[in-house]
Amino acid sequence: MAGQIKVMIDQIIENRSKGNALLVSTTQTKLILKGFDPAKYDASSPDDPAVIARLRQVAADLNVTL
Amino acid sequence: MGIKVAQVADGTVDVGAKLAAQLGDPAVVVYFASPKHDPESLAAEIARFFPAAATFGCTTAGELVSGAMTKGAIVAMGFDKDVVSRAVVSIVDGIRNSTDGIDRTFSEWARRLGQPMLELDPERWVGLVLVDGLSGAEERVMERIGDLTNVVFIGGSAGDDVAFKQTFVAAGSRAASNAAVLALLECPNGFDVLKTQSFHATRQFLVPSKVDKAAREIIEFNGKPAAIAYSEALGVKPDELADQFMAHPLGLMVGGEPFVRSPQQIVGQSVRFYCGVDEGMKLAVLDSTDIVEDTTAALKKALDRNPGTKGLLSFNCILRTLELEAKGQTDAYGKVFASVPTAGFSTYGEEYIGHINQTATMLLFR
Repeated sequence: MAGQIKVMIDQIIENRSKGNALLVSTTQTKLILKGFDPAKYDASSPDDPAVIARLRQVAADLNVTL
Repeated sequence: MGIKVAQVADGTVDVGAKLAAQLGDPAVVVYFASPKHDPESLAAEIARFFPAAATFGCTTAGELVSGAMTKGAIVAMGFDKDVVSRAVVSIVDGIRNSTDGIDRTFSEWARRLGQPMLELDPERWVGLVLVDGLSGAEERVMERIGDLTNVVFIGGSAGDDVAFKQTFVAAGSRAASNAAVLALLECPNGFDVLKTQSFHATRQFLVPSKVDKAAREIIEFNGKPAAIAYSEALGVKPDELADQFMAHPLGLMVGGEPFVRSPQQIVGQSVRFYCGVDEGMKLAVLDSTDIVEDTTAALKKALDRNPGTKGLLSFNCILRTLELEAKGQTDAYGKVFASVPTAGFSTYGEEYIGHINQTATMLLFR
């Protein structure tokens, strides 16, 4: 399977920014500083279970329900 | 009305009275003080002279005031209510061991403001953060703040004139180490943030493959001992690497701009940094450019974008200050800020969304 990481990242950005361009940018920066560069993942990125588990924790820390 | 800047020189007595004479009766006072002034008695004195204001600040490794860099001084900025209409300020203690105090502080603020921190308008509210510069906790502090709010927090790590023994942050009549001061300001006219660093990214990248995050050490880059890989990337011998640190730090690239990670020292074959890095984080090797020239251009652009800026707070990395001193450019750097009311200090690290090095972060008030 592939693409789940991008979906999760997009959900986090959408949930935190609500479409506000400033918040899209700052949320992307926060994710990069946490080790998840949104540009590195696309629909063909493999569903690495370790990355997905870490991303779930990041979402929880950001108060985002996936 | 607006913003006023005050300065008292080394050796001044009656500091509180002299600051009050220059600042008047502001709603908020932010100050940056050389550690030559006892932090605890200074906090109490400033709180006493500004009983109606929210007062907070920290110790420095040098100060910056409109038109000049100083040593041994106290610089302060006073904000009237037309610029900062509401402010909440708290000290968060025990940051070396836990960031739970940030959660508690934000819960308390939400109660006082009647609005959850996640719902504050990020274009009306801005945060200031001053952190014990020897706590090693800045990454965790900034990460937790960013988790809990969309408001941007900007600031710096307190200094102690390059003694590296103890730094203080202060709010109200209290000063503390192992602590951070968080301040939330409502700016009805808006604000802008400027982050500038004098580097450009080369095409060389290093990827940490083994790190000791708590020690801020990179053990391996690209599967090789870190000091070896770093020196190879710069084309120098390993014993020449440390001499290259100031001019060639590493940068986490975000939107084409580096979030600078500055190496501090070689430890065995590892490299210790002034801020934390994660495994797998692709870091660009950076080349230095001219600080005065770059800052002049960046500030002009920011002031053009924000006509009528009433004042700015500046958090300038001590490594930039040391470079300016080595090149005899401190007067020139101070003059960059001659046209706008400015207060700032030389920091042990800069904060903007995360923790960064060799950068100047600035907050411009409209």
